[in-house]
Amino acid sequence: MRNKILTLLSLLAVFAMLLSACGTPTPAAPAEPEATQPPAQPQATEPPAQPAPTEAPALKPGDPLPRTETLYFNGLQWGPVVCWNPYSSNCNNAMALAAGDNARVTMFETPYLYNMLDGKQYPLLADGDYSWNAERTELTFKIKPAAKWSDGTPVTAEDVAYTWATHVKYNTGTGAGNKDYIEDIVALDPKTVVIKAKLDANGKAVNPLIVSAFVSSNYVVQKAWTQKLEQRTGGDAAKFLADTAEDVVFSGPYGPFYADETKVVLVRNDKYWGQDPSMWGKLPAPKYLAHAIFKDNAAGFAAFKAGEVDVSQQFNANIQDLWLKEGLPVSTYLPDPPYGIGASLPTAFYNLNSHGLNLVAVRKAIAMAVDYDTIVANAMANQSATFKQVPRSLMNPTPGEQALYDHDAVKDLQWAGKDYEAAKKLLDEAGVVDTDGDGWREYEGKKLSYVATCPNGWSDWQAAIEIVAAAGKEIGIEITTNYPEWSVYQTVVTKSDAPLPAGYDIFMMWSAGAGPTMPWGRIRNLLSSEWIGQPSNWSGNWGQYKNERVDELIKAIPNETNPDKLKEMYTELVKIYLTEVPSFTLMYRPQNFHAVNESVWTNFPHQDDGTNPPVPPLNLVDGWSIAGLYNLTLVK
Amino acid sequence: MKHTLRQVFRSGKFLFGFSIFVSLVLIVLIYPLLVPDDPLRILGQGTFFPPGIYVNTYDSINTSTKYTLNLPNADVRRLESKLSQEDRLAMREWLIAAGIAESEIDIENTSSLLALWNSNYDPKKSIPGMTNARRNYFIRLNNSLKGLTMAGDLVVASKNAESGGLEDLGVVKDTDYVNISEVANVRLLLLGTDNFGRDMLTELVTATRVSLQIGFVAGLIATLIGLTLGLLAGYVGGIVDDIIMFFTNLFTVIPSFVLLILISYSLGQEQRGAFTVATVIGFTSWVWTTRAVRAQVVSLRNRDHVNLSKLSGHSIAHIIIHDILPYIASYVVMALILQISSGILAEAGLSILGLGPKTTEVPTLGLIMRWAMIYQAHIQGNWWAYLPVLVTIALITFSMNLMNTGLDQVFNPALRD
Repeated sequence: MRNKILTLLSLLAVFAMLLSACGTPTPAAPAEPEATQPPAQPQATEPPAQPAPTEAPALKPGDPLPRTETLYFNGLQWGPVVCWNPYSSNCNNAMALAAGDNARVTMFETPYLYNMLDGKQYPLLADGDYSWNAERTELTFKIKPAAKWSDGTPVTAEDVAYTWATHVKYNTGTGAGNKDYIEDIVALDPKTVVIKAKLDANGKAVNPLIVSAFVSSNYVVQKAWTQKLEQRTGGDAAKFLADTAEDVVFSGPYGPFYADETKVVLVRNDKYWGQDPSMWGKLPAPKYLAHAIFKDNAAGFAAFKAGEVDVSQQFNANIQDLWLKEGLPVSTYLPDPPYGIGASLPTAFYNLNSHGLNLVAVRKAIAMAVDYDTIVANAMANQSATFKQVPRSLMNPTPGEQALYDHDAVKDLQWAGKDYEAAKKLLDEAGVVDTDGDGWREYEGKKLSYVATCPNGWSDWQAAIEIVAAAGKEIGIEITTNYPEWSVYQTVVTKSDAPLPAGYDIFMMWSAGAGPTMPWGRIRNLLSSEWIGQPSNWSGNWGQYKNERVDELIKAIPNETNPDKLKEMYTELVKIYLTEVPSFTLMYRPQNFHAVNESVWTNFPHQDDGTNPPVPPLNLVDGWSIAGLYNLTLVK
Repeated sequence: MKHTLRQVFRSGKFLFGFSIFVSLVLIVLIYPLLVPDDPLRILGQGTFFPPGIYVNTYDSINTSTKYTLNLPNADVRRLESKLSQEDRLAMREWLIAAGIAESEIDIENTSSLLALWNSNYDPKKSIPGMTNARRNYFIRLNNSLKGLTMAGDLVVASKNAESGGLEDLGVVKDTDYVNISEVANVRLLLLGTDNFGRDMLTELVTATRVSLQIGFVAGLIATLIGLTLGLLAGYVGGIVDDIIMFFTNLFTVIPSFVLLILISYSLGQEQRGAFTVATVIGFTSWVWTTRAVRAQVVSLRNRDHVNLSKLSGHSIAHIIIHDILPYIASYVVMALILQISSGILAEAGLSILGLGPKTTEVPTLGLIMRWAMIYQAHIQGNWWAYLPVLVTIALITFSMNLMNTGLDQVFNPALRD
């Protein structure tokens, strides 16, 4: 009897513990602003007052951060930080290092900032717009007189030139990726930089588009520090790139505070040059940028929900439930689906060597049968525009790119999906029919049977691939799914110097997002045959499609400046893409996921927030979106 | 035999476990006859629709018979669903912030509140200190109020294909009702839908069937291997015993679940059908059956009737089958039951780790749990996506363990009442 009572009691205890563990975490109440905190300006349109110099004793690394001075992130950093070296691409340091079209400019800065919303490049380290010479072979820009390194020395043109020389010397990703387009970068005087484009046989720049994109996608690193690093590593490229660079000098508003296995914290440099009126005129609002290292999406989501994370760069399915059902102060850039701005086009590629997939009819039929509305609603939980809203092309849904092709000219080619009858008709007409009565179609006597695949654990992609497979069943083509681990998948898919192996008939990969070379860069990645034959192809065209006319157009566009001509060329590319279907877009995906919890901070960028130029929803750290950090205020 | 069975069914515990188990099996067998849908069919466009009855709006407007019911408080209920007390307080907050005197606002008087709101609310107006989330809330509230302020009936119209103009089809009054049995399309989703928009209940029933099959296959394989090795080791003894026990001990110290993970991982996903997974589970969980059977056989080996059989010149196989097996049969059945239930648990464990069967072919209990977890159903409070699965797994293992305990009480002399 006693035993039974004891058992009962322990069961009850366990149950109570379970209940308390399952309970909804209460959002952290916004703490009272501390005495040292400047009074927050409530007006959205007015800039917040400059924070007074902190008088409280300085925090030591590892101390708890004051909540009202810290902006917390999730979904950017996974695993501990390896290094702070801006030349290395293996630092796993997402809070500080992410050069690219929308470069992360918290710690290191680019001459210009790209704004994906209006497609323009705004000066950061640079002073005013850049200019091309008449032949479009040399690009010139000035450095802001106010621009300074964290050690107080001015940023000079020599730094820009030396950074480029170092990239080339040590053959970094930046160097290797650009040296076919950039001949040299030189300092004309301490404040003037000239980028000389590589010229082709006719004396024209090989690719002026890539040259002009260079200025907003690559960091400027201090010459003096680079030389110090070279001295330390004795000219050994491997050592040079592997250096942890704890002593690195930077020009951005934030520097390293501490990083361990649980957290990465950047601290504001209160002497940041950008408070000069020639740039921002003030310091960014949060003193600390912190990113806890979460085990997985679920852990990050729980913290975001509890108000422990302010800015979330995670795919959170059904994000709207947070405000609709739970009434939390959470919002996204757009209040309604798709909640964000689509920038990239996750794409299903066909292995053009698979049996039957060399036929346009089969490729197009499968693409027409896929139920895209369900992909958008179920796999992406409505965080993508539908293909009714933004008909398929090669462009992302931003207005700038949509205006680049003639919508009426390709109207008849844009399929909406789930059109089983049209797909069947297409197959019947091509002679791909079920000859042996087993319910599956044959081509040249062999059953059409494909494997659709994507990496294991990529939940939205896996769900999309499931829906692609379901479409096959409807039109008599057998499609099964398979999800290899990413480590296997990536080596197989990026090996473009040999035909893809079995099991990779239909496979999913990404496309480029928003950037200064877009949509040209994206189209080149998707369709150019220059990637075929590369042993490690991280660019695109993984299905190994080849079309001479497409290659011609891709080559011609960067040198074309006439907008009407450009539109014509882009329209032709879209036409070819939708006719030949070497791959097909499954959904639109934002450049970054961007959801904010306004428990502590508010005045995040959102649609029609009155900012001019508009601040894009890129987590307040990428490209022009860093401007958002200067608008933040505390919730009262 | 008859006597044994009668004895077994007299055990309350066994009977209880058995009836739960049989009801589960019956549901699994009968449900597909009643609802012959493909369990993997995607019905819903969207994720995690809550459980309930889904009535087609299009069909309910188009039903031939309309009923007029004058239910008391219908207006009040309609209003409540759109405008809660919380909303009223929020409206007051907004109006005050917009500069309306507090004395003018009466949140209990709906019509005056709505009038004041409609004349003052401006979504573009910036209220100092208001977060974007709050601003969005007011925009949503304002949109949902639009239906309330509409005067009179709703007009149903269709678009004329030629002229593009609207043609009236009918009028919907706020006292119109339809009888649900007259609506052409009504779907009961007793457990809602999952992240793919599949009917959870249909999927769950099929998954239970598949998981039971996996359990049976895994349990049978494990028990067969365990029994054969245990009998050989126990009866033959000597070097055979040493060799078998060497391997058994070897496998005892390696946690079988780790082994299971490693094998499943190396098989790769294309190889992992439900049956393969079951086989792998079977081949990694025979160890303790072997040890237990061997121990029993060792104690039986020198009994008189066995010696008698030996003296009569019977073969080893004959002796094992006729003189030893019957004595441990009850134990073997109990072991089998436990192996089946642990097989089901092992599949669930593997699938949650992403090492279970492929998703497209069949649903299993573990796979449903896995997808619910990936789409964060447990954090977002979509209980119908995982709780019923947990309960099913618990019921299966509970019923089997209960049957096992019941049998134990019948056959184990030490436990007999």
